[in-house]
Amino acid sequence: MIHSLKIFLLLSFVVFTNAIIAQSKSTINFTFAYGSVVLNFDDSLNLRNDSSFLRLTALKFYISNIQFFKNGEVVLEEKNSFHLIDANQIIPNQILVENKQNIAFDEIKFDLGIDSITNVSGAMGGDLDPTKGMYWTWQNGYINFKLEGISKLCKTRNNEFTFHLGGYQQPYYCLQTLRFKTNNSSFINFKLDVLKILNQIDLEKTNHVMSPSEEAVMLSKIVANAFNLLQN
Amino acid sequence: MKRKLFIFSLLSFVIVSFSTVNEIQFDVPNYFPKPVYNFSKNPLSENKIQLGRALFYDPILSRNNMISCASCHSQFSAFTHVDHALSHGIEDKIGFRNSPALMNMAWQKSFMRDGAINHLDAQSLAPITNPAEMDENIAHIVTKLQTSKLYPHLFYKAFGDSTITGEHTLKAISQFMLTLVSANSKYDSVMRKQSVFNEQENKGYLLFKKNCASCHTEPLFTNDEFRNNGLKIDTTLNDLGRYRVTKNKSDSLKFKVPTLRNIEFSYPYMHDGRFKKLSQVLNHYTNGIEKSKTIANELQKPILLTANEKVDIIAFLLTLSDKSFLFNPKYFYPKEVFSDATKD
Repeated sequence: MIHSLKIFLLLSFVVFTNAIIAQSKSTINFTFAYGSVVLNFDDSLNLRNDSSFLRLTALKFYISNIQFFKNGEVVLEEKNSFHLIDANQIIPNQILVENKQNIAFDEIKFDLGIDSITNVSGAMGGDLDPTKGMYWTWQNGYINFKLEGISKLCKTRNNEFTFHLGGYQQPYYCLQTLRFKTNNSSFINFKLDVLKILNQIDLEKTNHVMSPSEEAVMLSKIVANAFNLLQN
Repeated sequence: MKRKLFIFSLLSFVIVSFSTVNEIQFDVPNYFPKPVYNFSKNPLSENKIQLGRALFYDPILSRNNMISCASCHSQFSAFTHVDHALSHGIEDKIGFRNSPALMNMAWQKSFMRDGAINHLDAQSLAPITNPAEMDENIAHIVTKLQTSKLYPHLFYKAFGDSTITGEHTLKAISQFMLTLVSANSKYDSVMRKQSVFNEQENKGYLLFKKNCASCHTEPLFTNDEFRNNGLKIDTTLNDLGRYRVTKNKSDSLKFKVPTLRNIEFSYPYMHDGRFKKLSQVLNHYTNGIEKSKTIANELQKPILLTANEKVDIIAFLLTLSDKSFLFNPKYFYPKEVFSDATKD
């Protein structure tokens, strides 16, 4: 009997502790869609209402400098805020931000990409480690956003298209800052709709953007507009 | 309780001592400017330098494990690739530029002939991934290093962690490159008032200061900027230099001003290695300048030098040779490290 009581108390303690931990973090979740369907890298996707099928092979990007606002004032910000999001992975793409005092906020801001200072600060670790495949080497700097796939619209080798968007210097500064109003301080759920991006790119003409350029800046803006915050 | 506190204090002391005692101060000659490199983010230590030295000389950094950094950067030639106008890398593939000499890198704001690399830590990624140089990638290198007999231990000694990362690999290579300081030539001993120029060297020095020093600024003998020095474009390469990076027309045909330290040993000269002798370089500046929209302001007016004056300038340039740099055992191939690795 005493043994069962001990186990019960221990379990209660674990559940209680976990509840506290869960409460003391704000979760930012990223989901990926292709129009009205959940994005699946194994699927053959329809780009237009014709036979222009395509398949995606990579979708990765950096989220950085996360800040939370209440009535326009910063009330919480993440330190060392650099996160690599990879849509083609099994585990959920979630960022857990420490919020020990359960501070309420009504707006979230983050950068899509890596800021200029970090780009000129040498070798970094964690998600910024160059081994993550999001770093240019011939002209160094971070790739903010990477989208790769195959489409018969592309008259390229193996019908491939490659968009590696980045650039930390003007006039090709690609970093985008996104702000969203939110009514939830514990779980913030974003959706990135890839169809919104591809609908605005003529893949027959534009299928390889892999260096800082006017096109990279233009595409970075298109990508930023494809993020939506899902209100609960 | 007291005993626990004592052990904790002792451990803290040992950890703090370990991290600080191993740090090495980067010595700057008093007539040199402040280094550009931020040492606080990558403090020098002997173990990190030795790890970087091993990586610099190890062909494991290339796809076929045949080409090392030292393949194109030999110490005896001031860490450049002599005898080849355009440096060659993996499987004898020819690159499109002459490899730069490596020295005094702590004072450089950017790297490569066109300044495409903004930080020393990122510099080695460029040759590592170039298909004509080492044709590898850093993620695969980390895997190779991690599974080697040698490196997990060396990384542990250097960083206190045997799990190898790209960040630590690059920072270790930086550490070795940062130690490549050339500041002990005859010129340096004259600056330190330990020696004097002979008459010809002195004449050459005065001519140098009048005609060359605005770009090849003392004491580093480069202003670390980009200039179009009037070279006729090589139509087999069509290399537009800095323009490739900025896509700004005003940067067309501009290349980084190279240091002249150890110039005696770092031939051939120019970004495409077109000149084998210093006399050819000086003849270019007096007779070969091709004017174009982006020509350097410093070359708008012709440089006038007699044949004797050119010889005097060369005599001065030879005072920039630093034998204690070119033959410093600290920079040699680390055979003791690699021979240890083969023992079982």
